[in-house]
Amino acid sequence: MEGLEFSGFVGIISLLVILLPLLSFLLILAGQKGRGADLALINISLTFILSVYLFSLLWNKQPFHYQIPWFLIGGIEFKAGILLNNLTVLMMILVSGISVLVHIYSRIYMKGDPNIHRYWAYLGLFCFSMLGLVISDNLLLIYLFWELVGFSSFLLIGFWFTRHAASQAAQKAFIMNRIGDIGFLLGIMIIFSQFQTLDISALFGDNGLMKESRISEGLWISGSRQIPEVWLSIAGIAFFMGAMAKSAQFPLHTWLPDAMEGPTSVSSLIHAATMVAAGVFLIARVYPVFDPFVLNIMVCIGAFTAFMAATIALTQNDIKRILAYSTISQLGFMVMALGIGAYSESIFHLATHAFFKCLLFLAAGSVIHQLHHYRDKLGLDFDCQDIRIMGGLRKGMPIAFIGMCLASAALIGLPLSSGYLSKDAILITAFEWAETRNGIFKILPYLLVLTSWLTAFYISRLVFKVFLAQPKLISREQTEQIKDAPNQMSYVLIILAFFCSFIAFSYNPASFESSWLWNGFSSASIQKVNIYHWLVPLILNIGSLGLLFTTYKIYVKSDGISIPDRNLLYRFSKREWYLNEIYSYLFTVPVEKFSRACYWFDRNFIDALVLKSASLVGVLSGITYWFDRTLVDGLVNATGTLAKWIGRFSRNFQTGKLQHYLITMLLVVLSFFILTYFI
Amino acid sequence: MLSLLIFLPLVAALLILVLPSRFQQQYKYITLGVSLIQFVLSLFIYLKFNSSSLAAGISKESQYQLVEKLPWIRLNLGNIGSLEIDYFLGIDGLSMPFLILSALVTFVATLASWEIKTKLKAYFSLFLLLNTAVIGVFCALDFFLFYIFYELMLLPLYFLIGIWGGIRREYAAIKFFLYTLFGSVFMLLVIIGLYFSVINPATGNHTFNMILMMDPANYSYGSIFSAIADKNLFGISARLLAFIVLFVAFAIKVPIVPLHTWLPDAHVEAPTPVSIILAGLLLKVGGYGIIRICYSIFPDAAMQSAWWIGLIGVVSILYGALNALAQTDLKRLIAYSSVSHMGFVLLGIASSTTEGVSGAMLQMISHGGLSAMLFFLVGMIYDRVHDREIANFRGLAEIMPQFTAFVIIAFFASLGLPGFSAFMAEAFSLIGAFTSEQVNGLLPRWMAVAASIGILLSAAYFLWTLQRMFFGQTRLKGGEEWLSKLSDVNTREKFALIPLAALALALGIFPSLLFDKMNASVLAFVQLISG
Repeated sequence: MEGLEFSGFVGIISLLVILLPLLSFLLILAGQKGRGADLALINISLTFILSVYLFSLLWNKQPFHYQIPWFLIGGIEFKAGILLNNLTVLMMILVSGISVLVHIYSRIYMKGDPNIHRYWAYLGLFCFSMLGLVISDNLLLIYLFWELVGFSSFLLIGFWFTRHAASQAAQKAFIMNRIGDIGFLLGIMIIFSQFQTLDISALFGDNGLMKESRISEGLWISGSRQIPEVWLSIAGIAFFMGAMAKSAQFPLHTWLPDAMEGPTSVSSLIHAATMVAAGVFLIARVYPVFDPFVLNIMVCIGAFTAFMAATIALTQNDIKRILAYSTISQLGFMVMALGIGAYSESIFHLATHAFFKCLLFLAAGSVIHQLHHYRDKLGLDFDCQDIRIMGGLRKGMPIAFIGMCLASAALIGLPLSSGYLSKDAILITAFEWAETRNGIFKILPYLLVLTSWLTAFYISRLVFKVFLAQPKLISREQTEQIKDAPNQMSYVLIILAFFCSFIAFSYNPASFESSWLWNGFSSASIQKVNIYHWLVPLILNIGSLGLLFTTYKIYVKSDGISIPDRNLLYRFSKREWYLNEIYSYLFTVPVEKFSRACYWFDRNFIDALVLKSASLVGVLSGITYWFDRTLVDGLVNATGTLAKWIGRFSRNFQTGKLQHYLITMLLVVLSFFILTYFI
Repeated sequence: MLSLLIFLPLVAALLILVLPSRFQQQYKYITLGVSLIQFVLSLFIYLKFNSSSLAAGISKESQYQLVEKLPWIRLNLGNIGSLEIDYFLGIDGLSMPFLILSALVTFVATLASWEIKTKLKAYFSLFLLLNTAVIGVFCALDFFLFYIFYELMLLPLYFLIGIWGGIRREYAAIKFFLYTLFGSVFMLLVIIGLYFSVINPATGNHTFNMILMMDPANYSYGSIFSAIADKNLFGISARLLAFIVLFVAFAIKVPIVPLHTWLPDAHVEAPTPVSIILAGLLLKVGGYGIIRICYSIFPDAAMQSAWWIGLIGVVSILYGALNALAQTDLKRLIAYSSVSHMGFVLLGIASSTTEGVSGAMLQMISHGGLSAMLFFLVGMIYDRVHDREIANFRGLAEIMPQFTAFVIIAFFASLGLPGFSAFMAEAFSLIGAFTSEQVNGLLPRWMAVAASIGILLSAAYFLWTLQRMFFGQTRLKGGEEWLSKLSDVNTREKFALIPLAALALALGIFPSLLFDKMNASVLAFVQLISG
């Protein structure tokens, strides 16, 4: 691992990994429209190959860190660099691998779209930002890519921008994420003002500044800087807020279901497998910043989100919406796991979830795609995403069916699946953790068990309704005409199906401790053996299997359950806990009203004040004008008039008669003498 | 060199005045040529600029670059010494970036002037005169000279808005004129007060030299603005009062809430190129003045008022953003967004930290480019169909894809998408404001937190506009007629838009392009004001 040459080499490869997708973005937008699909696929494949290479080079090795100066402010130099550790290289192959598959899939799925080149370009931008996010070595760079991820997601959700719902959803997603971003930015401000650096390894490394900072007498001290202790918790909450928005945690999750307006392939890549994992990734990267208080919040939010999303998924009828809520629920599991300190379990679940959720979406995508074709062929009119109109598709679409089943098994956590390993790992750790806690934390693991059972119910409801139940709209014969999607799409499903089994992650189907992935993050090498390790999976799976059987009875053998629409709980779930309405009532509408009030104030008060003072000046000038005309000018005129008057008066003396002059002279001389006499 | 930069447009303006009117189609090419030469010159200055700490400038005359100092007015006044006004130009890291910005914005504004069809001779000579004044302001180091350039800006602007503007142009022009004049009249009093307080140690005369005004040692004891004597005027410290007067004068230009109401009216009525100059350069004169004059000459008063200036910044950010959210006229929306974005400049300056001041400087350059771009884009729609009401457009993305691409770039860059300059600028203004409490105790932390909500609001109004005007099914108020008129971006417009987008992108990814050049000056500035 030594030598400058080596580090330069790895650095260049990592740069290539992120720059290749950017290259396809630039080239396609610069005019390579026709070759967009090939260009994008070639670049992302190269990225994947290089990522695998880096993975083989660096997995379980010394972390690789390489940086160059970026800019200078005052005495502080900001550096840009690459930090590759286990977490990074894992995310790299995960992101690029799933991207490759989705690229292949999209070639068929998006075929015929008039703006397809933009689709490839945006995908490139997304891969660039996502990969950049994972390899960045400082918070500022992460933030940069973090928002770029949000931006490319905005573009992709709104890909069909002529549809009102799509552009609305894109806007909502970006703004919701912006709320989280502000948290992230606040976190950056706090960290920077405390440590004067944003370098992750300097901050959060083994002997990092974070570890060396201490808390005493209500102050959080690092070197010469200090700040009240509360800001440590605020920093934690701030970073967590960023993660909450991106990883769709309550209360910032409502954008994700709406984001399903984008193409399904996008939902699968971005809103199921990769981007939403960015929040979990961020928490993992800045983990040392969270104090126990924030970790507890994280546990509660995670567990609550998992539960809430599962209850909503129970009653949704849009196939993608169910999957979206399922994603939110699973992300809740991951966040909760991070909160209880189950770092490796969480990352493990992140990886397994990426594959099975991607598969669920892509399988759903092929159903939608084929229904679409069928609908257009026959000129029918129905909603291709509504599971109520589907049914009996198993015969015609075996690959989608099997793929969906395997992925669902993993989602439920049935034995032999990948989900069994990772999800049960989280649950077991949760029980172990709760043993040492009191109060509400004691019941959280049970909430998770309940959530898992709900998961089993909603996902089997979906599978049964789509593939096994009686066809609703069309006859069984017609249904069978709906065939599996073209091979290219099906191959992708098959590859993903492989990653839903335990084999890809562990040689032992029953123990997550033997998984290479889990071991890559776990520092504890001792096998913890206690009763939970067999009891929890046992109870979980018995419950799940029982539920599977029940749903089978309900949706395949009979005609489903009829719940009266008036049922309060049903409506609560169906309307997604009324959160959209509540937010609109609490935030959107008041802000809009407030902004209008501000504008009214601006026009009618501030500007009016200016205009009033202007008219005041006008009035003043009117007064001065009057003063000028009547008094000043009047005085002048009066002087003139007076002079005239005197002149006129004295003209009277100029009579030309000598006697008058004599009399005047006499009077003057006389008065002179009289005056001198008296004075 | 600087004189060349300043007076080249003036020469061109004279040339246009003497050229017969039958060449009037050539006027715009002359103007364009001038702005290109200016751009090349300023680029050359940028490249040759010495950014070492020995050339930081600020309060040390010897450290200024490209200095031109000639005695201009010398009048023997008997026993009060002799009147000493110099023709004194020079730049440091805080003024050099504005030269490039001026040249670039002028270039874009010239390209936008293609749409001006009447009274070309008057238009282009006034336009060039304005350009002279703006660059002069950024280079002048003698307060008297500064004031002349500063006032010289008003005259052409008044006519440019008043003659070539929209329907209520006279109202807007006079409002703008009186507003700014109000500020600068009182500024003149302070200038005179400063003149009688400061003595040039070399000659023993009173002086208008700004750099000498920054050194407390040059104030004659007992003079009105002497820091040691600390005289009172109307019950408050004379220096504080002078600071407030100067601050108000420049803050009107920035503009701050509540002295901003001239801006929406002026923008809405001004023709596109004037809006571009107004937002791109004139507002920056305000920010530059606060840094160069208010803070540098009265640092003690500035420290005293930091809390209030920070508060004004935060209020401007939030209030401007909320007002923008309520707009139905696209140009007015962008005008209010300017108020909001310039608030970050105040906040950054008020923090008096290197991060904050660097952020504020970057924000000025960044906003200069981006607001020019935004107003240019609005102008493009307005020139085509003479309407800018947001509700009258829908689904423009389908009929004008390239135009929409530029709008998306400009909007996202303005709302602070990382990778563009505004993000770096706003982030560092905020970081500076947040750090301030720990470094110098000037601003409380909540200000930075509150200001960051402005970033959220800016995303809201820009995205909402995008969604309302550009996405969805195409539906135009003017129907088919508009559809044929709304042609996509043409080559001339691309020449204007691409450099601006490139500037935003370049500064967003490599902020060192700017930070490295001005770092020494920022450090010297922070050192000067925090004493």
